[in-house]
Amino acid sequence: MKDPIKKYFPLFVLPVFVCFCLCFVWPFIQGVCLSFCNFFIPKDATFTGVSNYVTVFRDTSFWHAFLITCLYAVASIICVNVPAFFIAYLLKEKFKGVTLFRASFFLPNLIGGVVLGYIWSMLFDGILSRFGTYLTASPVFGFWGLVILVAWQQIGYMMIIYIAGFTALPEEMLEASQMDGANRFQRMTKIIIPNMKASVAICTFLTLTNSFKMFDQNLALTGGQPIRTLENGMQLKTTELLAMNIYSTYQINNHWHGTAQAKAVIFFLLVAAFGALQLYVTREKKEKKPKKTAASKKPSETTSPAKENKA
Amino acid sequence: MNTQKYTARKIVFILISLIWVLPIVFSVLNSFKRSGEINTDMFSVPAGDSFAGFDNYNTALTFGNYPFGQAFLYSVLISVVSTLLIIICCSMAAWYIVRVNNLFTKIFYGACLFSLAVPFQMVMFPLSSDASMFGMDTPFTIPFVYLGYGAGMAIFLFTGFIKSLPYEVEEAAVIDGCNTIQRYFKVVFPMLLPVTISVGILEFMWIWNDYLLPYLVLDMTKYRTIPIQVQYLKGSYGSVDLGASLAVIVMSLVPILIIYILCQKYIVKGIAAGAVKG
Amino acid sequence: MLKKSISSLLASALLLTLCGCNTQKSGYVYYLNFKPEADSAWQELAMEYTEKTGVPVKVVTAASNTYDDTLSAQLNKSYYPTLFICNNAQGLEDLGSYPYDLSNTELASRLENYEYCLWGKNGELFGMGFCYEAFGIITNKALLAQAGYSVDDINNFNDLKNIAEDIHARSDELGFDAFTSSGLDPSSSWRFSGHLSNMPLYYELFETDLTTQPAEISGNKLGLYKNIWDLYINNSGTSKTSLTTATGNQAEEEFGTGKAVFFQNGTWEYAALTDPAKYGIAPENLTMIPIYCGGDYEENCALCCGTENYWVVNSKASQESIDATLDFLYWVVTSEEGKTMLSKEFGVTPFKDSIPTDNVFFNAEKAYEEQGKHPVQWTFCMTPNTDVWREGVTSALAEYSAGIGTWDAVENAFVSGWRFQYRLEHGTM
Repeated sequence: MKDPIKKYFPLFVLPVFVCFCLCFVWPFIQGVCLSFCNFFIPKDATFTGVSNYVTVFRDTSFWHAFLITCLYAVASIICVNVPAFFIAYLLKEKFKGVTLFRASFFLPNLIGGVVLGYIWSMLFDGILSRFGTYLTASPVFGFWGLVILVAWQQIGYMMIIYIAGFTALPEEMLEASQMDGANRFQRMTKIIIPNMKASVAICTFLTLTNSFKMFDQNLALTGGQPIRTLENGMQLKTTELLAMNIYSTYQINNHWHGTAQAKAVIFFLLVAAFGALQLYVTREKKEKKPKKTAASKKPSETTSPAKENKA
Repeated sequence: MNTQKYTARKIVFILISLIWVLPIVFSVLNSFKRSGEINTDMFSVPAGDSFAGFDNYNTALTFGNYPFGQAFLYSVLISVVSTLLIIICCSMAAWYIVRVNNLFTKIFYGACLFSLAVPFQMVMFPLSSDASMFGMDTPFTIPFVYLGYGAGMAIFLFTGFIKSLPYEVEEAAVIDGCNTIQRYFKVVFPMLLPVTISVGILEFMWIWNDYLLPYLVLDMTKYRTIPIQVQYLKGSYGSVDLGASLAVIVMSLVPILIIYILCQKYIVKGIAAGAVKG
Repeated sequence: MLKKSISSLLASALLLTLCGCNTQKSGYVYYLNFKPEADSAWQELAMEYTEKTGVPVKVVTAASNTYDDTLSAQLNKSYYPTLFICNNAQGLEDLGSYPYDLSNTELASRLENYEYCLWGKNGELFGMGFCYEAFGIITNKALLAQAGYSVDDINNFNDLKNIAEDIHARSDELGFDAFTSSGLDPSSSWRFSGHLSNMPLYYELFETDLTTQPAEISGNKLGLYKNIWDLYINNSGTSKTSLTTATGNQAEEEFGTGKAVFFQNGTWEYAALTDPAKYGIAPENLTMIPIYCGGDYEENCALCCGTENYWVVNSKASQESIDATLDFLYWVVTSEEGKTMLSKEFGVTPFKDSIPTDNVFFNAEKAYEEQGKHPVQWTFCMTPNTDVWREGVTSALAEYSAGIGTWDAVENAFVSGWRFQYRLEHGTM
């Protein structure tokens, strides 16, 4: 028997649902429709069938941006999550100053992407100019510049999620293993990491979608520079990620709004597929392995906050 | 805990933390320099000739014909109201989704997940005209746009957390005679504190720094927010008053820093509350 | 209680939603302005007009670099602009059926000449240039005299080159250099990938056809571009690897504080350079010389004159709004207030009885024309897909200057870039 929550639908879900439909689902549907149209202003769009999609598939710059974005996603997942994990590991215990350290790592999250981009482009150029070069001189600088920027920005956030994960670890198990003579490394690989699967899953999911949707920082830091003009005259923006490629396509002129819209749809499908795959894979593993530990930890871990808060 | 054990760790972290905040320190320092100097040497400390005093702040405050104070107030209003709205409505919806497991909630949850993958560019033109059609183009109504557009992430995080909550506590409350509303607000909502805090931070930061959505959605003949104002510091051919821009940036950082410092205790406590064992 | 407040909140939101639908106001003026610099002046003018006539005039300025997005988004709303800006012929084509034919309006009758107008295929007057501008090399006469030269000594590229190289060689002793930094930061790069590229384009197309946008260019005059670019970067105080971060403000400051003699820019710089609160250079010490780059008949050429600012009236607005907008514009070009503002903010306008400007750069152009020289047309307005094409050229220029890339890459970005962007602009890849 289910409880009487059901009839509270209008209060609990309706507000969000209505706004979600009005401000997301409806524009989204219109957006999908526009991808089959040619338009300058959405209200006078003309239907053109799949020609926009054909154009996208023939557009080298889009697939180049896709490739760069994939590389970028891999690099940033590693460069954000590995340091965040270890920083969290070292900052999980309470000692003097730990709050301050946590706070300073979290600080960059408070600044908007465009601003971050400008600050870092000034910093990078300030440093590189001492070596007689500049940030947009090479695609390699730009790419790693973006990775450094995003690591600097997101490590703090992921660290907080990992700290929460660490503090939820079943301490008895750690103590028991310590008594059994397990060393640090064994404890890390055998107990900590398997039990941190949930945190790892959510952090990688967040970094993955973030790096696919990366736009502000990209635009402000490199703007896609340096640009290579190919033999046929096509411009390849060597540090342009997918979201920016869509934006650039909008900028061409009104013949391209529809194509940009089609790119956005393809982009959405790609990100959704990656995200789903990633969630599926990590969830599989999470459910297989630490089942026995999860069962033992659950009641003790989760009843407490209620008690604490009631008090 | 013995203090000795942590000495090495502390020293390392003092160094890393210093590096971490350095870019922000540079921004603050440079906001006191004359614009010309910022570009030629951003690492120097403002002194003598390059020191501009509060000139940049003055420019930033008096720039153009849109009062900075007004943009600031709109920014605060939009961010605070939207964040509160998202927290309340989305946590309720998430709880409903977890507890009522039917086809509708499954589809809604799925749609929320999918919304995370949608680039803003895809909906920006339709959204801006729809929002103006529905009257959501004022600072007082734009929170509903944020609620709709930001629901995905919030519901995703809330459901994840609620799934791990024990059902027994709620059952006990029902037996004690709580109706559904009391059961949610007296029992469930307090338990959500940690995730509420992280959702709150995430959404607040996003909305506070968001530029394109308010720029396209708000009635631009009347309203501006701080990020929009920053954009207006640029000239028609991309010339930027660096000093004034940095001054605006620093000023827009200050309230966030204050909130962060004030809530810092609760953030850590909130996370601890979610994790400390009985 | 909470339930009640939430539901009342929702109810009020729904109410707002329902009555929020903007009803079409009868006859309004809504101008989407392009230049943030002129925003205040337009606002004041709009206020005065509303006070006088009671007709609401709204002036909104698009944030820098977002004009097209802003226009698309605003036109899609129920309260949309009745008057906007278009930059060139391609911009007009992009607007589709939005431009209103201004041919037989009172406003058009105020035009002194039709040189600065954009025309539709059937001879409709769609875009009305409301100001024109000139660019060249701004020169500080006082510093030039200090180095032992005068403007009259510069009549072709060789003169310019000799003088610039001499000043650069003696820069330590003189305390100033020849050219300001040729920054390739986005705030400055348009001076080179945009304005400077006018020179090779003009000299090339002069021999064929200067009126229609070519699908391809040969780049046979790019040597001139290299001449002048090399001269700029070799004879300034800024290192060649720091050009990508050098901004427009930086160059302006170098010139304004007397650190350089030559500064390639346009008539619009006059206000900033002479403003006592900013740089306060005496107007009599300023002039503008043509960009000499070694072209065959450059001694007959004056400054580069043209416009990128055309008024376009929205034909899809209600007739009342169109009339109101036309009335407003007519008032702007005929009333004292309007004419004063135009002359102060934009310098020279093509309207009858406009107020003469005190901008010495325009006066320099007038003097050249009196000597029988002819203005150089703004050929660069024909660049296909302008912003993207420029980015490609800028990137190649930066690499060439820093010694990473070759000049061939610049030529490729110029010539094949043109061909490709032309196709993109016309909808094929």
